Amino acid sequence: MAKKAESYNEAIDKLRRIVADIERGDLDVDCLLDNVKEATRLIKLCKDKLYKVDEEVKKVLEELES
Amino acid sequence: MEANGDDKTIFTLSELTGAVRDTLEATFPETYWVRAETSDVRVNAASGHCYLEFIEKNPKTNQLVAKARGSIWAKVFRMLKPYFEMETGQTFTSGLKVLVKVTIEFHELYGFSLNVVDIDPTYTIGDMARKRQEIIRQLQADGIFTLNKELPFPDFPTRIAVITSPTAAGYEDFLNQLLHNQAGYPFYPKLFPALMQGEKTEESVIAALERIDACREYFDVVVIIRGGGAASDLNSFDSYLLAAHCAQFPLPIITGIGHERDDTIVDLVAHTRLKTPTAVAAFLIHCLDQQAATLNDLEERFTHEVRGWLKEESYTLQQIGSRFPMLVKNRLEKNLSALHILTAQLPGIIQQSVNREGSSLVQMKQRIRVATDSRFTHEIRFLELKEQFIRMASPEYILQRGYSLTLQNGKIVKTVKDIQENEPLTTRFMDGEVVADIRQIKKKK
Repeated sequence: MAKKAESYNEAIDKLRRIVADIERGDLDVDCLLDNVKEATRLIKLCKDKLYKVDEEVKKVLEELES
Repeated sequence: MEANGDDKTIFTLSELTGAVRDTLEATFPETYWVRAETSDVRVNAASGHCYLEFIEKNPKTNQLVAKARGSIWAKVFRMLKPYFEMETGQTFTSGLKVLVKVTIEFHELYGFSLNVVDIDPTYTIGDMARKRQEIIRQLQADGIFTLNKELPFPDFPTRIAVITSPTAAGYEDFLNQLLHNQAGYPFYPKLFPALMQGEKTEESVIAALERIDACREYFDVVVIIRGGGAASDLNSFDSYLLAAHCAQFPLPIITGIGHERDDTIVDLVAHTRLKTPTAVAAFLIHCLDQQAATLNDLEERFTHEVRGWLKEESYTLQQIGSRFPMLVKNRLEKNLSALHILTAQLPGIIQQSVNREGSSLVQMKQRIRVATDSRFTHEIRFLELKEQFIRMASPEYILQRGYSLTLQNGKIVKTVKDIQENEPLTTRFMDGEVVADIRQIKKKK
């Protein structure tokens, strides 16, 4: 499906569009299922970014000269 | 005082200075309000007295045009300093335009000085405001005043470059609040140490900004904070140079400089101005709260939709499922009733069929009879003919008609050449046989 390197903003924008699409209710069932899968993935991605410590960011900043 | 021979009046130094003092005191017996700029302000730690210089400069050339020593006795200074600082939000220090009420003093040992008995902070405030306005006008004229404010604020400000003094209490408060946020959002603060008070503040903060600029892709926002509490020296944050740096910085700047008075110019040009370090932390947490709320809202709408959809689908299925037995029953009943009708019709149909078959059988019987009769007649006739023929062909019949049969050795002799001369011939007649020896054989030629 989508590539992995989405930023939080990209993910949430996609999610917004999907939810709007679903709410409009004009998706056929197959398309809906794809969207449900994608939305579930995006929600998890955003939650991870929002609540989980990104060790990589931590490390990069620790190594920076201040 | 004494008089010498040349009619000269000669003073001792103390006499003279004493006379000057007396004259001064007589001429300037009251207190006077004086406008001046402070310089070389210092406080004697032991006595608590404040000593300074009052100066006046030519506003065009900036050259000194007047200078006087000043003093504020500890008793007065203890009250004046907090009053002045509370009113102006500005430390009582050098380089301030002040309006002070002074007595004029002259001491034989220390000379001329102005002793401060009161101060009017509104003059200083007015002067500071004028200076600020000038700087603001300059920043606006340079077209940079709103640059930092125009930067898009990141939705997700977690990588934070912090400019502050690492020893400041405000920094600790900031970290505490930020890192122990209730929701458990991860933040990544990185300290860029700088002096936050004193004369070197301006250059130190600018240097920190430059260090951040060198690695700005790793950060979402810059936070400039310092410990709140004591009314403090904010001159550096009203400086044109620092404000210009902040305004043009490529990342949004949030200030929490910790003061009660009107915004400093750095506050004015910053993307977001907050009062204290903890307020900055709360703001950043709030940003993520909003994101969490957005995400939560989307998730709820999503699950609501999907749940609704599932419910609808399962309802449809249920509808179909529940209609199914009825459909089957209907269908069965229809078939059953058709069967009933058929069953009811069956005897009639069978009867009809039997009748039809019966009449056909009768017909057949008749036809068979007719056919057999004619066949019999025919056969009888044929048999009669055969019989007649057989009768007519039988040896008895032939013998009766005068023919006879000749046999030799029990076999019928049909031709002369089969006859053996030495054997007797038997001739069979209708009514018996004659055995005779052969006398002569004559063959037809």
